[in-house]
Amino acid sequence: MSFQSLLGDSVDIGLILLDSSGRIRLWNHWIEQRAKCSAEQASGLSLTEAFGEHIDPRVALVVREAIDFGWSARLSHALHPMPLPLFPPGGECSERTKQSVDITPVDCDGTRHCLLQIRDVTETVRREALLKHQARQLRNDLQSLSRAQVELQRSEMRFRELARQAPAGLFEADSQACCTFLNERCEQVLGHSLEAVSGTPWTELLPIGEQARVRTSWRLAVESATRFAEEFRYTRRDGKQLWLRAEAGPLRDQRGSISGFIGTMVDVTEFHERATRNEFRANHDGLTALLNRDRFERHLRAALSGAREVNDRVALLFIDLDQFKQINDTHGHQAGDIVLKAIAGRVRRVVRSEDMVARYGGDEFAVLLNGIGDEATLRGIVAKISQAVALPINLGSCHVRVGSSIGLAVYPDHGSDPDSLLTHADKAMYSAKRSRCNKAISGQV
Amino acid sequence: MRTFSELELDALTEAFNLSLGEAAAAFSSIVREEIELSVPTIEVLSRDELIQRLENGRPAGTDERLCRINQHFNAASGFQTDALLLFPEHGSLEIVRRMLGDDTPIQHITELEQDALAEIGNIVINSCMSSLANLFGTEMVGSLPRVQSRTAASLLDDKDASDVILVARIGMTMAAYNLSGFVLFIMNVPSIESFMAQVSRLFKLPEHGAGQALP
Repeated sequence: MSFQSLLGDSVDIGLILLDSSGRIRLWNHWIEQRAKCSAEQASGLSLTEAFGEHIDPRVALVVREAIDFGWSARLSHALHPMPLPLFPPGGECSERTKQSVDITPVDCDGTRHCLLQIRDVTETVRREALLKHQARQLRNDLQSLSRAQVELQRSEMRFRELARQAPAGLFEADSQACCTFLNERCEQVLGHSLEAVSGTPWTELLPIGEQARVRTSWRLAVESATRFAEEFRYTRRDGKQLWLRAEAGPLRDQRGSISGFIGTMVDVTEFHERATRNEFRANHDGLTALLNRDRFERHLRAALSGAREVNDRVALLFIDLDQFKQINDTHGHQAGDIVLKAIAGRVRRVVRSEDMVARYGGDEFAVLLNGIGDEATLRGIVAKISQAVALPINLGSCHVRVGSSIGLAVYPDHGSDPDSLLTHADKAMYSAKRSRCNKAISGQV
Repeated sequence: MRTFSELELDALTEAFNLSLGEAAAAFSSIVREEIELSVPTIEVLSRDELIQRLENGRPAGTDERLCRINQHFNAASGFQTDALLLFPEHGSLEIVRRMLGDDTPIQHITELEQDALAEIGNIVINSCMSSLANLFGTEMVGSLPRVQSRTAASLLDDKDASDVILVARIGMTMAAYNLSGFVLFIMNVPSIESFMAQVSRLFKLPEHGAGQALP
């Protein structure tokens, strides 16, 4: 083996040397493997004779140019994918090896020869196809990412605007109850900006009396990851007393643990006042603001069961105004209302604050006295009420006086249940009224 | 540095005009699209002047790389020259990818694309040189094309500062593209003398130096 062929057979490119008439002088082992033809067999043949008609016509052209004019040429894979019918060594002759061919003139033995260098670019083609595939994928990913980003911005703007315009206070707080976000409305409700309160738990803004309850409720919500909902009193910096209702749900971070709460803060002062008014109206007489009959009887039942347990005594008084109808008839209903209000106030003032006073019917009042003393004390109270009622009442244009008949029933002396006590007091009141009438008829006062 | 008379420059322009026309035809046939080359403008510059020119020419603030396709030619009549094609990298990439029907968003040129560009440059340069060889009645043996992608500042680092550069600026218009490129011929001093002597003979110019005396 000559050194030349040793060199030629050791390299990983194909080498074909053509003489000045374009006939194959030699080719290396690389070509033998891929052309399935030995150098001896090919020697002296033209490229067309050696490879058949399946050669890219440009190969013949540039070979001619190299031999005739001394030009070099490159046939790139991109423009001439497989110029020569070369096949993978040992493989099937189904697909040509992907090639890049360099053609150069070489002078030897005083004549112009032509050298073809053929590189197998199959692997490069595969690698670049992969690279381009990845680049396309990357571009698509980037496009969808930027679309998602635009969508995110839009939705962020939507929620920011929504939060800004929302008629409810919105807040976000961490698990320590420190606010991380307040919308404008929430800042108005609380009377504080986010910067001013973000360092401390919002529960500390509440009046001292409310703090413990709300704080406990917040802690429980954080621990159990449930909804927080509380109503509480709030004194704004301008001194205004409010009722607020806060409701919030847990926010979870990526690992699923609670990172804070987000929710609403609503001023429910008006709602609260209305509810309080409604409750008062349901339990009280609209004219005198005393308890109504229904509420009074509930108090009575409660008082009796309490007294039963501690062996206490409870007194029930029925007060009926005398000649009230005449005042109504003579001075009108407005005068009647003034009289009723005045009597209610006087009775209220005579008894202790823990005693219950109710307007029981039209001109009927009832009083419930808890923990009464002895008989004499009770008689004293009845006398005081009687005197207070009997004082003159100023109607503006004149004064009127009304008398009263008072019936008394004492638990447990006159009955052990509300009905029997009520019946007893009612009877006692009528009997008193009758005796007063009789006294009046017989001239006694 | 060797200077040229107006007459000599006119003769050079004419010589390149002929040869670049051949190049355009060759290029058109390989890309199977109509390519128009503008009439070249010819200048003779030193290496550093050319680099300055290239740096000033690019859009401000960009670091656009240039693609250079280089072939060395040896003329039997006694001169050697490096023939260079220069294109902005981005523009040459677009041409190659357009030809290959590829819209892959890869910023730099790949190996196979570089090979394709080498082939295109090879065809353009070969036909340009063949036309010069024909004009001069000589043979010019050429090397294989080499493609390099570089910044303007480092583009001609491998060339000698004393070399004379014939710069032919050509505009290439291909379908929707406007691609402006340069064809450069870089020669040492003995080569430029030999080259000019042949141009003078071709256009029957007076001997060098006598040109200045003509009215």
